[in-house]
Amino acid sequence: MALNMLDLDLVINALPLAILAATPLLLAVQGELVVQRSGIINLGIEGMMLVAAMTAVLAAQLTNNVALGFLGGIAGALLVAIVFGFFVIALKADQIVTGTAINLLAVGATSFVYRELQRGEIFVQSVPRIGTDVVVPLAWIVFPIVLAIVLWNTSFGLRLRACGENPDAIAPHVGRHRAAALAIEALLAGTAGAYLTLALSSGFAENMTAGRGFIALSIVIFGRWKLKGAVLGTAIFGLAAALQYALQAASRGVPYHLLLAVPYIVTLLILCGIAGKVRAPESLGR
Amino acid sequence: MRLSRITKSFAATRAVDDVSLTIERGEILAVIGENGAGKTTLMRIAAGELAPDSGSIEEATSIGFVHQHFLLVPEFTIAENLALIDRRFRFATHKTLEREAVRMIESSGIELHEVSRRVADLSVGEKSKLELIKAIARKPSTLILDEPTSVLTPRESQELFRVMRALAANGTAIVFISHKLPEVLAVAERIVVMRSGKLVLETRSATPESLALAMTPQSPLPAPSGERVRVRGDLALTHGDVQLHHNEILAIVGVAGNGQSELADELRARFPRAGHIPEDRTRDGVIAQMTIAENLALRGVRNAEQMIELYSIRAVGPRQLAGDLSGGNQQKVVLARELDRRPEIIIAAEPTRGLDIEATRFVHERLRAAADAGAAILLITSDLDEAFELADAMQVIYRGKLSARMTAEEASSRVANLMAGVA
Amino acid sequence: MSTGRGPVVRPAGRRPPINAASGGRRLAGRTAAASAALLATILLLALSGAAFGHSPRELLTILITGSVGSTFALQGTVLKSVPLLLTGLSVVIAFRAGVWNIGGEGQFIVGALAALLASRFGLVPSLLAAMLAGAAWASIASLMRLWRNAPEVLTTILLNFIAIHLLGWCVNGPLRERTAMYPQTDVALATLPRLGGLHAGILLAVFASVGAWWLLYRTNEGLRLRATGFNSSAAKWAGVNVRAQLARAMAISGAAAGLAGGIELLGVTNRLFERFASGYGYSGIAVALLAQLHPLATIGSAFFFGALVTGAGELQRTANISSAVATLGQAVVILVLIGYEYGFEYARSRSRH
Repeated sequence: MALNMLDLDLVINALPLAILAATPLLLAVQGELVVQRSGIINLGIEGMMLVAAMTAVLAAQLTNNVALGFLGGIAGALLVAIVFGFFVIALKADQIVTGTAINLLAVGATSFVYRELQRGEIFVQSVPRIGTDVVVPLAWIVFPIVLAIVLWNTSFGLRLRACGENPDAIAPHVGRHRAAALAIEALLAGTAGAYLTLALSSGFAENMTAGRGFIALSIVIFGRWKLKGAVLGTAIFGLAAALQYALQAASRGVPYHLLLAVPYIVTLLILCGIAGKVRAPESLGR
Repeated sequence: MRLSRITKSFAATRAVDDVSLTIERGEILAVIGENGAGKTTLMRIAAGELAPDSGSIEEATSIGFVHQHFLLVPEFTIAENLALIDRRFRFATHKTLEREAVRMIESSGIELHEVSRRVADLSVGEKSKLELIKAIARKPSTLILDEPTSVLTPRESQELFRVMRALAANGTAIVFISHKLPEVLAVAERIVVMRSGKLVLETRSATPESLALAMTPQSPLPAPSGERVRVRGDLALTHGDVQLHHNEILAIVGVAGNGQSELADELRARFPRAGHIPEDRTRDGVIAQMTIAENLALRGVRNAEQMIELYSIRAVGPRQLAGDLSGGNQQKVVLARELDRRPEIIIAAEPTRGLDIEATRFVHERLRAAADAGAAILLITSDLDEAFELADAMQVIYRGKLSARMTAEEASSRVANLMAGVA
Repeated sequence: MSTGRGPVVRPAGRRPPINAASGGRRLAGRTAAASAALLATILLLALSGAAFGHSPRELLTILITGSVGSTFALQGTVLKSVPLLLTGLSVVIAFRAGVWNIGGEGQFIVGALAALLASRFGLVPSLLAAMLAGAAWASIASLMRLWRNAPEVLTTILLNFIAIHLLGWCVNGPLRERTAMYPQTDVALATLPRLGGLHAGILLAVFASVGAWWLLYRTNEGLRLRATGFNSSAAKWAGVNVRAQLARAMAISGAAAGLAGGIELLGVTNRLFERFASGYGYSGIAVALLAQLHPLATIGSAFFFGALVTGAGELQRTANISSAVATLGQAVVILVLIGYEYGFEYARSRSRH
């Protein structure tokens, strides 16, 4: 597949868009990273973002204020986090099944509410758009640095990581730390969902997260549960997405639908590209 | 601190039965008894980890509990593990953590060097020391040690006793749980014996005989005759430095954590048709959620009722869930499963760990019988008494390496050194 | 205890999410759990509807009449139950073995594709192709896990998305109907014989259910499979080749889901189109959990969810309520079951302190 100079231009032009488009993904990756470092697998991050997307739009349209929209998104994500946290931390329920249920819950609830609210014409008005985009630098620069410091240079971060390695070592306080991790994830996932609707799209659409949560999970693994890896992994993924846009725009005869499958195939390759020496947090999933 | 009339049951078993005990400041108290007597359960209740079914705790103090199983994070360094005690939120670099760790270690009086090492790289004895330092750093009024010397070399044990005496002199109450009579007699000021959940003896002056009598309801086993009737058969397998023959029991002894698990695992992978008795009975033994019959059927053993008879398994029937059986009976199911098909090779890792006298005796009988009938048995154990009682030959494992093969006579003089890594 | 290296989910010692212990000892408890889940679902749906101004009674009436209130409705329900039964079995087998097969959706689609392509050779080859394709698609994930330690919980989900887009490409491209009017394929060259308003696939599905029960409880393979699911390290020590077992379980699981797709094609839709799968794969999880991972109970569980989906469809037609309430219902069922299951352990652990 030779790319002549015209195509290369397309790729380069598509890059900034790719970075932008990958921002919600990066936020989700960082959130999931923190949570997995504390020993929990949250498959429900997909659902968290979806709910956040809806609550963000609702909040923004009700208040006509984008900033409050973002807060609304975070609030929605926190709600999901509380449900998930209750089952997984308090009841110690199986994390995979609970996460799957959360996703189903999110899809069902958001579609249901969307349809109901459409009756009241709440989604018909135009959504306030974001002004200066502070989210991108936050996601790509500020959060990675802050989270890295918190996880590796504070006693809180040490204890949180201990929860993921051997929770028995700090037995009575595990729940607290995992809950804090979930709260951080909700903050990030909420921002991601809000960004999706308030910046990247023009409102809510059913199932709009389209599997980003699962891609995020894969990038966490690819990045070896480190912040640097998270940023790098998402950047590579964004690059692949840019390629996809370029090919689509050039309509080089690669079928549209197969191109849609590319992100997921890339993610599969990411998961396979890992040599057997990946070391997950030892108590992940327990 | 005072425990009054504590009782605790797990399902149908009464683990602790109406026990009252006072723990005095500045004394060293030993709680002894055989496996399953209720010592650990009682102390966990004292420490507040478990709630008693009845009874009360008066004048409770701050308690430090050093468990038998390590509660360390292997991936973290010594310094990081010690830093886990801290509950505040603060910034900390590696340097800061290391400085504080050194301070904690010095004030405990225990030797542990190079705090930047990962815990996974430490020897078992060092990990044990780290756990102790962790517990002491919290400055508890009462310190409970659960089988602290089970993974220590004799020299490290002496160091531990020194620390214990120093702490006691400073006012800390020390309780240590053990089943090793010589140590208990050397260190403890007061000794308490438990048997089947009851407190049967409390004394300040004791002899090994009086203690042993209190611990077990019957007279000790007659010593096995020194003669071995077995003639060693042909070579059955070689694996690294291990050469196993038919008609013999070869014991691999060593302090737990020196490569025994890895060896057993390698052998399992290499010889899948052999009989394997796994070391970790609770995790790898029977499948708790399946019936006895189903567990046996995994190796093609179909006559579950006969097996229950033959192995004297105390169960309601073959359709009882294996998880409901006691530890000893679960081990019997494993034995039945592995031995019934008369494998040529048997690899038994810690087969009697945590079992009471009766079950232990049963297991030993079965292994002896299998060897007499021609099987080649590899016994991996950290229990020297068991090794000397059963084995025709011994090798010592230390840090993954095996010593040369020895007879029982040769071993008795050399084994202590070899286990500590001294040639 | 840190020997093996693998990211995310390791099955060592993990039990299946619902405590599917042997013996009927917990039958009473399990029935109670299932009933609680059913009640909670219906209650929640009624309440949600009420929150938006619908009368709960009206909602429930529509749900019930729309699903089982007439022969026509009942037929619709049964037709929907058939693929659910098979995807439910797929999940039962996988979860029982400790394998996280969340890829029922993709295996369903791939199975249907294979059935379509093989339909020129007849009904039986078509169905066999469906099973093989489903097994193969699932095996991609298990191969990735065995070779590269890639967690199947993620790879199966990713394969779902890939299958959906594969289908999209097929119906818009190479397999598009000759008249090229709509994005759908031509009619399949084989069909399942009809049984009144239903099709023979029902018999196949029930047969599969009995077959799964027999496999799990009456064969050595099933014994090993269950052992692996309960405690894979103990199973290993008892001589089970755990890796092979997981691969086989995954393949069987995929075959069931693939068969579901094949039957749906050959018995109901006769063509493939873009939203062919519409959640049957994911619904299988709820079906399996409500059935407490028992193959025979899956029949009843599939019927319940079939009724839910059909009733929700009626709700959408008459009351303009999103049919996604069925998905909501599934989630509630799962959460209530989990809550019930783990709630006891929680209560017990609280009493200890």
